[in-house]
Amino acid sequence: MTEISSLRPLAAVLVPAVAAAPILASGARPNLREAWTMLASVLTLGLVASMVPAVLDGDVYVTELGSLVPYVEFTLQVDALGMLFGLLASTLWLATSFYSIGYMRGLDEHSQTRYFAAFAGSVASAVGVAFAANLVVLYLFYELLTVATYPLVAHDETDEARAAGRKYLAYTFGGGVAVLGGILLVVHLAGTTAFVAGGITDLATADPALARAAFALLVTGFGVKAALMPLHSWLPDAMVAPTPVSGLLHAVAVVKSGVFGIARVLLDVFGVDLVAVLDVGTLLAVVAAVTLTVASVIALRQDNLKRRLAFSTVSQLSYIVLGLAVGAAAAPSQATKWALIGGLLHIPAHAFMKLTLFFCAGALHVETHTDDISDMAGIGKRMPLTMGAFAVAAAGMAGIPLVAGFVSKYFLLIGTVSAGDLVFTAALLVSGVLNIAYFWPVVYTAFFESQGDSDEKPLLAGPFGGRFGRAARTDGGHADDGHHVHDDHDDHGPFERRAPNGAEGSWFVVGPILFAAAGSVVLGVVPDAAVFLQVVREIVAGATAMGVVL
Amino acid sequence: MTDLVPFAVAVPILGSLVAFAAGVLRSKSGWAVAVAASVAHVAVAGSLAAAAFAEPGDRISYVVGGFEVPYGIELVVDGLSATVLLLVAVVSLGVLAYARRAGPRSNPFYAVYLLLVAGLSGMTVTGDLFNMYVFLEITGLAAYALVASGESGRSAVAALKYLLVGTIGASLFLLGIGYAYIGTGTLNMVDLGEKLTATTAAGSAVVDPTLAQAAFALIVVGLFVKVAVFPLHTWQPDAYAGAPDTVSGLISALVSTVAAYALLRVVYTVFGTGFLDANPVAHAILVGGAVISIVVGSLLAVSQSEVKRMLAYSSVSQFGLIVAAVAIGNGTALVGAAVHLVGHAIMKGGLFLSAGLVATETGARTVAEYDGLVERSPVGAGAFGVLAVSMVGVPPTIGFAGKWYVAVGAVEAGAWSLLAVIVASTLLTLAYFGRLVERMFFREPAPEPAIQRAGTTNATENADAVADGGDPRGASLGMYATVVAAAVLAVALGFAAFGYGELLEPTIDTLLSSP
Repeated sequence: MTEISSLRPLAAVLVPAVAAAPILASGARPNLREAWTMLASVLTLGLVASMVPAVLDGDVYVTELGSLVPYVEFTLQVDALGMLFGLLASTLWLATSFYSIGYMRGLDEHSQTRYFAAFAGSVASAVGVAFAANLVVLYLFYELLTVATYPLVAHDETDEARAAGRKYLAYTFGGGVAVLGGILLVVHLAGTTAFVAGGITDLATADPALARAAFALLVTGFGVKAALMPLHSWLPDAMVAPTPVSGLLHAVAVVKSGVFGIARVLLDVFGVDLVAVLDVGTLLAVVAAVTLTVASVIALRQDNLKRRLAFSTVSQLSYIVLGLAVGAAAAPSQATKWALIGGLLHIPAHAFMKLTLFFCAGALHVETHTDDISDMAGIGKRMPLTMGAFAVAAAGMAGIPLVAGFVSKYFLLIGTVSAGDLVFTAALLVSGVLNIAYFWPVVYTAFFESQGDSDEKPLLAGPFGGRFGRAARTDGGHADDGHHVHDDHDDHGPFERRAPNGAEGSWFVVGPILFAAAGSVVLGVVPDAAVFLQVVREIVAGATAMGVVL
Repeated sequence: MTDLVPFAVAVPILGSLVAFAAGVLRSKSGWAVAVAASVAHVAVAGSLAAAAFAEPGDRISYVVGGFEVPYGIELVVDGLSATVLLLVAVVSLGVLAYARRAGPRSNPFYAVYLLLVAGLSGMTVTGDLFNMYVFLEITGLAAYALVASGESGRSAVAALKYLLVGTIGASLFLLGIGYAYIGTGTLNMVDLGEKLTATTAAGSAVVDPTLAQAAFALIVVGLFVKVAVFPLHTWQPDAYAGAPDTVSGLISALVSTVAAYALLRVVYTVFGTGFLDANPVAHAILVGGAVISIVVGSLLAVSQSEVKRMLAYSSVSQFGLIVAAVAIGNGTALVGAAVHLVGHAIMKGGLFLSAGLVATETGARTVAEYDGLVERSPVGAGAFGVLAVSMVGVPPTIGFAGKWYVAVGAVEAGAWSLLAVIVASTLLTLAYFGRLVERMFFREPAPEPAIQRAGTTNATENADAVADGGDPRGASLGMYATVVAAAVLAVALGFAAFGYGELLEPTIDTLLSSP
């Protein structure tokens, strides 16, 4: 491993950040403004991609900018873990930029200039999070990410959006405070916060009680953005934001910055061995397992498609955390490798799949103004490509082979089994079934039902408690609960049939959907050819100091 | 270089006299005189700072009138006082750019303005405790007069309240000096420091400890009044909110800042760390003041409906952080105190001037009237937003740097409960700035009736402004430039904080190693 001194990491952060200025300045000329966005996203992706080959060889790009505050160098570095997140964010930003144009113009949204500028700022912060070389620089970009995404959450300027924005700020800055506290403890214990593959050495000899406290503060703080229960409730509310925001930020950049923070803490601050010694990994794994199960159950009853996707995100993020935590708890053993690979690979896998799903939800909104699943009967005729992509991504979420989700879940299952944590294996399997239970009705209703002819939706429409709940309500309740879902459909007439040739909407919308769906399939069919699995292997090899895996 | 030190005080005093005299010949000539004096002052402060930091840890000393120390008055410039001196000079010059159009414009106003600058500079460079009191009173009297320079009755009442409470604070400070003098027979700070810690051959203190404790308590509580630490802050929201916008910007940035500097200087040069270690109660006063100020100041800020009052209570909270740094008292924390003093001055001065700019452009002065502000006053709202984010302590701004230093200091000292309060203060600050930012950027301007109300306020404000010597033409380039410069500085200084901290460290080490 060699360090390559280069300005490229800095440039990758600066390009989108600087792009915000011309975007703001050219607000009066939308085409020019969007050209800046496209230029910046292409440049950013190019810069990040140009660093891939060397990173795969185990090299690290470093930009040193001097000291920031005592104990802290302002340094950016691109190692394998940073590359995983940076490459993901910049690749998907390009897709989302196209999609944003189609979406925002399709809906004739207000304040588009602010939207695109804040989006560029968010991506700059996300890349900064990825390329941070120590906890404080990571914290710096983590907080900037909060600031930059706030305008996107509150974009609608309705009471609901403002409330969601307030909640978002309170939760994430609250998490930031915990992170800051944890960082200060790490400084106290180790005198440095720089990431070291395998963990900071001085932490291993530090007071275990304080080390555990630091771990708890850091993981809790990052857990807010990673939407670990019970700190998740900002995420479903933030779905009030425009759909591209929900897609790139609340399924990829923002939430994954939380997951990424946890990964850094586990792998490069404490190190998997120390986490195993401190015996904190199992607790984190339990939190993740509970989250992924409970969130899947809650998703079953969400009728608003975006809210359902949000709870699915909460659930899937915990797959990643579960993999990391189980891997760390089992260190050092073969199980560590499997679980870590599974968890880390699920970062890009989930990103591609969930982005597809959100893009589809947005496309439905733009073209038909349909947001609720109960209004979607027969919508597959109207939007064949969109719903086809949705079905593929949903299958991947559930872990059906040939889609990205299968590969990462396979590694996760092997990891938990070989670690002997069969409870977690069971949780993963149960959640997989629940995934099918909440995604299949969407696909089914879109393709196999029509407005006039649809089945009952007991899960959605029935009272809590099933038949017993219904019995308790016979006195004054509605006996015909099963029908009321369909009462307010009148404004959604039967959907006309359109050919699957792009006639269903602007190519700016359909193109990115197909790109993201294709990405999920490529990751599922030839994971070895796709860059991400190689990057993940590189990370795990460094983190476990056990040489190249597999 | 030594001979330059007295000019740090003399230049603004001379400028003050000239401004007053020039008014006899030609009215409204005060601004030009003030600018000339301020530029000269910046030059003096800049070269003193350059000299002080050229030999880090050195102190440049000047003995007034050739009376030998400890009998005569000593003026001292070290890294810390050079910082504050430069801050005073630069901020007062920057506010002048704003005052050109915003007014008040009379020559007596600028005479008092420069007198305030002289008082602040004097407090900063003096090495003599009684001399510090004299400058404290000059500062106080000038500040009372400036607050009263608004034409409304509210300004007068605020100034009277400020006068009463401020005089009590200054009197306590003077009483404390008296006790110290009785105990030691000297007024020079360094000499006081040596005599207060001197012990007899038998090991007992030369100075009666009770005298020293009384002196400490009176001086610290007196300065708490001037710093506006809760619950001695009551003058401050009225004064800041009642004063003309120019004056709020100036005094919020400098007056409490220099008082906090005086607190730091007196606690560590005169009493020293040994005194704090030997007297847990003395330490507890500082910690208690800090914690209560941080928490209660923020809570009071949340409940304000007027923007300038909210900013004033925010100062109560922020100075709690500085007092906390003084209480922690290790090198990192004290560097943090200096960084946050500078940072807070820039941020809070900038916020008050932004609020003034907004009021000039739109008439909005209450939290409710800030709805949808970005449409009506994009520069004001933008600068306010950046400064608010910095005040919350989002990295890489100067607000974060100061907080980081103080927090690391708390970690190094093992002051865990203080650390918790310092870290949590981020959220408390967010509580009051968050709602304002939300209103500015994510709400429609208030519908018709409220706009009419805002319109009428606008009219009266404009009338006020005209009466104050302001201008009905709206905001000037100078006002925009000052506000934008403050916002840019708040971010840019965040990157300079580390370099500055390294330069300051030797000074702080000297300060802490003094007996």
